[in-house]
Parts: sequence; C-alpha cells; structure tokens
Amino acid sequence: MILSIEQLNVSTKEKQLVHNVSLSVRKGEWFALVGQSGSGKSVLSQAIGQMLPANLKANGTIQFMDQNMLTLDRKQMKDIRGKRISYIFQNYHGSFTPFRTIAQHFQEYQKAHGISSKEKRKENAIEALESVGLDASFYKRYAFQLSGGQLQRVSIALALMLSPELVIADEITTALDSVSSHKILQLLAQKQKDTGCAILFITHDWRHVRRYADRLAVMKDGQIIETGGKHRILDHPRHEYTRQLIKAAPILSSGLRSGLEEEKKHEPTFS
Amino acid sequence: MKLLYALAQKKQKGKWQLNLLKLLLVVIVLVCLYTFLYLQHDATLTNLGERLQDSSWEHPLGTDHLGRDVLTRLLLGGQQTIGYSLFALLAALLVGIPIGLISGYKGGVVDRIFMRIADGFLAFPDTIVAIVLSGLLGPGIGNLMLAIVLVKWVNYARLVRSTVMIESKKDYILAARTNGLSSFSIIKKHMIPHIVGNVLVMASLDLGKIILLISSLSYIGLGAQPPVPEWGTMLNDSKSHFQSHPELMIYPGLAIVLVVLITNMLGDYWRDRFDVKKEMQG
Amino acid sequence: MNLLSVKDLVKSYNGINAVDHISFDLKKGECLGLVGESGCGKSTLSRCLLRLESVDAGSITFKDKEIQKLNQSQLRPIRKDIQIIFQNPTAALNPRLKIKDSILDPYLQYQKELSLTHFSFTSKDQYVNQLLEAVGLPKGMGDRYPHEISGGQRQRVTIARAISIEPEMLILDEPTASLDVITQAEVLALLGELRQQLQLSYLFISHDLTAVNQLSQQIMVMKKGKIVDQFPVSQLFSEDRHSYTKELIEIF
Repeated sequence: MILSIEQLNVSTKEKQLVHNVSLSVRKGEWFALVGQSGSGKSVLSQAIGQMLPANLKANGTIQFMDQNMLTLDRKQMKDIRGKRISYIFQNYHGSFTPFRTIAQHFQEYQKAHGISSKEKRKENAIEALESVGLDASFYKRYAFQLSGGQLQRVSIALALMLSPELVIADEITTALDSVSSHKILQLLAQKQKDTGCAILFITHDWRHVRRYADRLAVMKDGQIIETGGKHRILDHPRHEYTRQLIKAAPILSSGLRSGLEEEKKHEPTFS
Repeated sequence: MKLLYALAQKKQKGKWQLNLLKLLLVVIVLVCLYTFLYLQHDATLTNLGERLQDSSWEHPLGTDHLGRDVLTRLLLGGQQTIGYSLFALLAALLVGIPIGLISGYKGGVVDRIFMRIADGFLAFPDTIVAIVLSGLLGPGIGNLMLAIVLVKWVNYARLVRSTVMIESKKDYILAARTNGLSSFSIIKKHMIPHIVGNVLVMASLDLGKIILLISSLSYIGLGAQPPVPEWGTMLNDSKSHFQSHPELMIYPGLAIVLVVLITNMLGDYWRDRFDVKKEMQG
Repeated sequence: MNLLSVKDLVKSYNGINAVDHISFDLKKGECLGLVGESGCGKSTLSRCLLRLESVDAGSITFKDKEIQKLNQSQLRPIRKDIQIIFQNPTAALNPRLKIKDSILDPYLQYQKELSLTHFSFTSKDQYVNQLLEAVGLPKGMGDRYPHEISGGQRQRVTIARAISIEPEMLILDEPTASLDVITQAEVLALLGELRQQLQLSYLFISHDLTAVNQLSQQIMVMKKGKIVDQFPVSQLFSEDRHSYTKELIEIF
C-alpha cells in the first residue's frame, strides 16, 4: 500500500466538497479515479499534496508510505512533492512559465531537489526528454513553441525524472485530441513499466480507464460510490450511476461493452 | 479544477456600499436642487462691507475676501465644476468610442493611423498635455475643456478597441456572422453590451480625475477665470487669506474630495458589477 | 441529390496548404463525418465552407450554386441555410446577452425571407420556448444568462439557435469535445433526433471516431490537409481501409 486515504473530508466554510472518502493505491498500480466535473476528484487529488487553495480545509488521514501527509509541515511537504509524489495537470499551458525555456524548467526543478551540478542537471534533462520521444533540440525552446502533446510529454518527463513512487495525473488528456491522448497515455504506461511508480489517474473518460487502469473508484458529488478491480466494475457495475457512465462512453463496434472482451481485443497494443 | 476556481473567487461585496453610494448621490442631487431653490445671493456680486464674515444665518458658510456668499459660490461652483467635467467627459466619449470601434473592428491601415496618433498623446502625462495645450491656446475654461477632450479620448479609443478586438475573435461573433448579421448589427447587438460596462467603469473613474484636473488647472489660473465660482478658482482666491480664514480653502477643498470620492466609489461598484477587471487595461 | 459538393478545394497559409485539394459530396439528409487529429485542417475546412475564410482554389457548390467567390451580401441568403455548432458553447454565446436574445438573433435577421415549417412564430417568448423544448431545455430558460446554466445546456442553446431558422445543413465542429461523458452522449443523441425530425444534413467534424461512427452515414478521414480515406460507415472495419484509418480504429 503506497497511498491510503481514510475518512477524508474537504470543505469550505459553507460547503463540503469531499465526503468521508477512503481509498488506497497499491505499489506500482494504475488506479483510476473516475467522475464528472464537479464530482470533487480534483479537490481530492490536490489534498494529497497539500495543494488545496487556502479556503479549503481537509481532515482525515492521507497516509503516504509511513507518513500522514496532513500533519507534515511546509518543509517536509516540499521534500515529498515533486520528488516522491509528482503531479501532471490538464492545463499544459499553465504548467509552464511562458517566458522561460524548457531548459530553465528542468534546471530549476532539479536544483530545488538538491542536484547541484549544472552539467549533471542538463544531462539528466536531455536524457529525460529523449525518454519521452523528444530530441535534445527541445531543451532550448519555449513552451509556446511546442504543441499540446509535446508539452504533455515534457510534463511527463519532468514528473518522472526523480523516480517518484506516486504520480498523480489530473485529467492530463482532456485538452488533447484522441490521437495525442492515446500516444501520451501509452507513453505514461511505458514509463510506469520502466519505473514501477504507482499512478493515480484522474479522468472522466471511460475509454482510458478501460484500457489502462488496474483498479478504479467512481466518484460522484464528493463521495466514492463504487470501487474495485476494473473488470469487476466494467462487467458488473453495482451502482446505477456507474452503469450510466459506462453506457455513455461510446466505443467502436457493437457488442463489445464488456471490459474483458475489450481487453482481449486490445491485447496487442499493450505489449 | 473549475470547481476550485469558482470557490477561489472572492465573495460578492456587501450591499451596504451600494446603499452608501445611493445615499451620497441623493445628497448631491438635493444640494443641487437647493441651489436652484434657495439662491439668495449673487455669486459674483462683491460687497466689500461684508468681507470675510464668519458663519451666520445670512451667510451659513460666511463670506470671502470680496464679501461674496461662500455657500452660494460653493454650490454654483459645484454645478460649474461637475458640469464642465461631465461635458468634457461626454465629448471625449463621443470622440473616443467611435474611433475605437472603427479601429478595432476594421483593423488594417485605419487602425494603425488612429493608434499611432493615440500613442503620441499617451506618451505624455495627462496633466502636462493639458497644461501645454491650455498654455498655447490661452487660459479659459473652453480651451481647458478642449485640452481635456484631447487627452482623454485616447483612453476610450484604446479601451474600446481592445475590447472589440478580443471579442471579435470569439466564436459567438463568428456565429453572428454566419447568421448573416451585418457589421453594424454585430457591433450594435454583440459589441456594445461589452463596451458599455467597460466604458462606464472607466468613465466614472475618469470623472474624478477630470474634476481634479479642472480644479487644479483653474487653481493655477489656466482654467475658469475669476469671478466665475469654480472650486479651483475659489481655492486660488482664498489662498492669501489662508492664515486668518482657513475655512475659505477648506470648504472647496472638501467639496472636491467628496465628489472625487463618490465618483471613484461609483467606478469601483460598476467594476465589480460588470466584472470587467480582466478586461481593463491599466 | 447532393446538397453540398466540394471540388479540389485549396486554402493555404504562408505557402502551406491547410486544406489540400479536398473533394467530397454531402447528400441531402445525410450525416457526413470528418475525422482527423487537431491541426489536420478540418476546422479550416469548415471555415472555408462557411466562407468565414476566403478560398484559394477549387469550388464549393451548395444547392447547385457556386459560393466560393460570393461576397458578403451575396452570401446572406446562403447563410440562412448553413449553420454551425462550435466546440466551445461558452465562447459561442455572448455572455452579456440573455439566452433568448441569442436564440432570436438569426430569426430577427431573416424574418422576412423565412417560411418556417417545423416551428412557428407568434411571439418572441412562444418562439423561444418552442425552440428550447425542441432541444430538451425547460421553458423559461430564455430569461437566464449563459453563465447561469451548465455546459451541456449551453450547447443545447447554441443548437436551438442554429435550428431556429430551419437551415438545410449544420456544420458540427467538435460539438461534444468540451462536454463530460454523460452530457456528450445526450447531446449526440439529441443531434441524431433533430436530423431526422427536421430533415437536416450534417457535416460532423470530430477527432472522436466513436462519436462520428455513431451519428454518420459516411465517414471521411483527414490527415495533414488531405482526405486520405472515405467510406460508408458500414465499411469501417473493412480490410480496404487506409492504414491511418486502421490506426485510428485501434485507438478507440
């Protein structure tokens, strides 16, 4: 168990956004948190890294390895964030400072986590870029010179650079078209295989869940309404809302609604 | 993320500010009405026998160094100052808005010509341009107003232009074009509502600045000429008696502060109301 | 019968062909799907068809009339018959206008030329409510502003606006891309129903092959400004498909 959340509540003064949520992510697995916008899934993911806006308060326990995240101070948090837990966001433009080069982002990131040699940092960065299929020429560019898919690749390179145990991917393909989404997720899956990190994958898109997740939780109105292995949920959804979600996600060709068959059909692309 | 964003938004401001503004406006209106109903004194009639008197029933705020009733001059001065300012503002709007609309919507050469002219005016501070212009054209309220229009239209032209340029890239303008709306109807139906909010905010904030500008230029003798009862002129008139009769300067000073304060608050209120913070450019 | 017929259409920016010699026909009453990645030129194509962009070469024939060279005033009667639904309903509605005013926009333009068969106009409110009902929105929503309703509802409003003057054809430019999954399915279903009820023809542009598959009778696949594959929907899984089409099928 790498991350285990128990009885987590997140609320503003007026409104509770996350109700009594418990879930656990195992080492090296792809855990999907599925829900529509406004279901509280992003709030939940931000609570993990103590990245909530000031007007939101979280209570409960968020156990990461052997530490309760909610009790850590700023300094301890800073050491964990980026190094052991890293985030990838939906809004790839917002994730990069427009007037700084990709190089500067890599440099700064590594410097913050104690890699002192400038040459070493550059070496690492270029290696990381190459590992996500971008050649060294991207190192000197600015974010706006890259396409959405390329930026999201850079995000992945940055996020996985220090081999974190947990990667939180918050709707990372929502702003991309389906072809780039597919490529990005395949890349992420490959990286997961290489590094063995766990992924908390926040999405509203069942297609991605179907293909990549090991286990999943369905979230609605701040509560988790169903959780379990992917095949169990896709084949035998217990909750009406889950059924609705599965039905609403269009898939190609008729008669392949079941997750098991879907898995077989797509087997080749996995390897 | 959307949810977070919505939550992070500041809470709506309380209603009391709006009520306070209403109250102040009512007070001003009443004061103006009072001016029409109760003018008992001639604002320009000098009466050296009654100079520098203290408050009395006859002269609630006393008289100035030429024996003129201060309250009467203050109220008429208010009409003058606010009136001139509104007039100058309106004229600036009438010049600036159409130029901004044309410039933003048509773009190209027209836009470039207008904007280079605007840049020329923007390169100097308002006050300097106004002083130079009224210095060149000669002192007098008419020339001062001309100067104000010349420095103020630029702001509106640029504001309107940028609003138009931002909005015309949006899909709903494309939709309107595919619906066969002419440029004129697009501007009328789809642009004006955006512009009104922005312009109203800027105009109400500007009104205060223009009042200050008129008053300060009158104070140094470039605006309204004595014996016209204008607040800046009144300040100028009474500065030599400041030691013995400071109230003669305090009254018009307070009047200016009050009116500028109200226009600023009005501007703030409208800004919140139309939520145009992000669209305002400096 | 072809409602829209495009031949060798070219549109280039800075010497690069965004739309590169494209030809296709859209039959009356049919939905033609256009699939491609972002940046393949499909949105440029839609803008050319609407003549929001000028055309460099080739012809666009709509209802037996060539429209590629017409000027804005000549296009006016044509615009009545081609409407568009954009990807982002938030940008496609004027935030300062009440919903009913947005919906009434096209009608007020074409009032004199229109003869409505499916809808009827007796009063503004009645007309707006009729349209709201047609897209599955509650009556009375017309008095609200776009920011007061959800994204799915907003897209329904833009659909109501588009069908209000009973056009022959709708261009759907990624109409569901900015909506969540459940709403996507609902909006797609609505579009399917409306096509039959109002005898509309669609050009349905999307990067989502499943959605296109669900709504269309014909599918075109576009890559780097060119149509690389074109086939009836029943032939989607055929062996003759272009390798890029097969690649796309693999993704979904």
